[in-house]
Amino acid sequence: MKIENINLARFEGEVKLELVWKESMIIDARISISSTRNIERVLLGRPYMDALVITPRVCGICGHAHLIASAKAIEDLMQLEPTQKAKLVRRITQSLELLQNHIKWFYLFLMPDFVFVKDELRGLYAPFLGERWKKAIEVSSSITKAIALFSGQWPHSSYAIPGGITSQPSYREIAFLRHILLGVKNFFLKFLVDMEEDEFCRWLRRGSWKGAKGDIALLLELSEKEGLIDIGRSYDRFISFGNSYTSSGYYIKKAVHGKMKLTQLEELEAPNYTRAKPVRYKRLPFEAGPLSRQLLAGTFLIKEAHRELADAFVVRVLARVLEIWYVIKAIEKWSEELKGLLHEPSTNLKKPPLKISGTGYGIVEAARGSLIHKIKVKNGLIEGYSIITPSQWNLGPRCEKFYGVAEKALLGLKKELHAQIILRSFDLCSVCTTH
Amino acid sequence: MKVLWLQKLTCCGNTHSLLNYETPSALFEELSFIYHPSLSLDSQEEVVRELIEKGKDIDLLVIEGAVECGDKELIELCKRSVFVVAVGNCAVYGNIPALSDERICGLSYRFKEKGGLLGDNFLSKGGLPVINLSGCPAHPEWIVTTLLMLAGGIKLELDQWNRPMLFYSSLTHWGCTKNEYFEWKVETEELGSKKGCLFYHFGCRGPLSYSSCNQTLWNGVSSKTRAGTPCFGCTEYDFPRIGMWETKHYAGIPTELPIGVSKRGYIMLSGVAKVFAPERLKDEN
Repeated sequence: MKIENINLARFEGEVKLELVWKESMIIDARISISSTRNIERVLLGRPYMDALVITPRVCGICGHAHLIASAKAIEDLMQLEPTQKAKLVRRITQSLELLQNHIKWFYLFLMPDFVFVKDELRGLYAPFLGERWKKAIEVSSSITKAIALFSGQWPHSSYAIPGGITSQPSYREIAFLRHILLGVKNFFLKFLVDMEEDEFCRWLRRGSWKGAKGDIALLLELSEKEGLIDIGRSYDRFISFGNSYTSSGYYIKKAVHGKMKLTQLEELEAPNYTRAKPVRYKRLPFEAGPLSRQLLAGTFLIKEAHRELADAFVVRVLARVLEIWYVIKAIEKWSEELKGLLHEPSTNLKKPPLKISGTGYGIVEAARGSLIHKIKVKNGLIEGYSIITPSQWNLGPRCEKFYGVAEKALLGLKKELHAQIILRSFDLCSVCTTH
Repeated sequence: MKVLWLQKLTCCGNTHSLLNYETPSALFEELSFIYHPSLSLDSQEEVVRELIEKGKDIDLLVIEGAVECGDKELIELCKRSVFVVAVGNCAVYGNIPALSDERICGLSYRFKEKGGLLGDNFLSKGGLPVINLSGCPAHPEWIVTTLLMLAGGIKLELDQWNRPMLFYSSLTHWGCTKNEYFEWKVETEELGSKKGCLFYHFGCRGPLSYSSCNQTLWNGVSSKTRAGTPCFGCTEYDFPRIGMWETKHYAGIPTELPIGVSKRGYIMLSGVAKVFAPERLKDEN
């Protein structure tokens, strides 16, 4: 038996991986994160509105999702609905954040590993030099520009407030957004899938991941060469709390169960090797994120790939890439709807009340999966704040009975590089995991 | 000049801010990164070990995130650097991570106290103190311009917090599209309204914070105040203050007035401004 400790590169934050090898096979894996910024503690005793400024600082890449979760938690506590306009704008900005995340994930975090598999790829995918790498940064940065049109800035805006938003978008922002989105769509079609829109839609309807083109095809080809196609399986159990384009539910043994109950949700104590706390639903570990959402939404190609390979590496990766397309389509639709709502007020609550008390939940499907904020307020001050992040579902550690989801996916692997690449299929973020 | 970028206790927000730079390709051509934890293929341990073992100098060391007071390896790296740049409020002042842990600080400050990790008298090999780029996050242009100025040997004028005057010598208020309301004391009464200035009721720190957020716009297009959100003063040592959406008053006057404005001056001018404020500003929405 041999124990190997690896400091992982190119993650959001610092992650250590301990692999236990026996007869050249991984028999145990521990993912550990030793730092935390105690954001939940920093919130205690502050006026509840401060949460809108502080929780986005949990994460530099998905902070906007935290902002929306905080706004929703306060709304839940106040029994307040945002205006229709504000709902749409928030959906748009939050989905844009997801888009920039997925594009960075593919080109900045996932693809660079494959230059170790095929050296000739450096010209396209190596950090700082690769043509596609640079293009991906330009595209993701254009997306954050679109977010800032509505939210003032990205990262770390606080434009979502209980009841709505602080900004007053006009047709100008919609036009600008649509043009940026067109650029993203063209990038996706030209480079990621290398197909015209019609051809791509036909491929989606055919339901077989074979016959892919573009960078996805390259990834699949390299995965095949490297023997990654059907490895990296975990529990094959999925969870999503639902958003504007997928329903909520959980998925066990190929059956979808609806109606999520927050009473079934549990955050356990962190084991001794990490500061991250495991999260369980009905006492079971679940995978969260794009694959969960696509299965619950019933995306044909993903369902077929999952039927063939279950929750293997390739299925998880395909779900993430295809989500880019579905989100582009959704934002196109919402920006159209927004045109008719521009005259609406930006918020239902003009002045936040000072002395409120109560408890509220704010749930958001962030890029990496289900994000849950719970706020407890007494006389206007935060008495308790708890955050369950998407990466806690996936990257979170073991409990007494079960391995963490990503930990389980590493068992049985035979190469260290495989372990690193499989971990990337979860799009890990350590800063969120321990916050 | 080569850049070594390291992350400590951080949300990685300054890295993502950097990636928003208008011309990223040119940036990565002009500045070569020997290592960046979110971007590079290499292992950080190996890069750092090699630097330390071979006794090599580092041209530009950039630190993102708050640090542990007494982090020996980091002190060593700073001593070997020609220039040290603290990017973002965590690296500058300790910020959020330092709020709940007294062992955490910034490179040369812990909130407003001088010292931090490196002590008050630290000078890098290039003869400069730690260059502080405060902000949560720092704007990509502040980061890139500062690095290019250091690399190009252009003199950086620094303020009392060792921040480049180029970006931190004017108030966030400068260039705010709500300035005319501020001038005539037309206050925002309700959030989500186009009308009025956010200083009087909603805690806006624009007239109390130094940054160029309303001159060099965020993501090239906007800023907090332009989106109707108050400025929270995230470039200052006391961010995040308690009660960031409220302005505290005493006898009808904000307890903290715009920098350099006397109480008497404020009362007199605001009284006059209110009386003579143009109707078009009051009616607008």
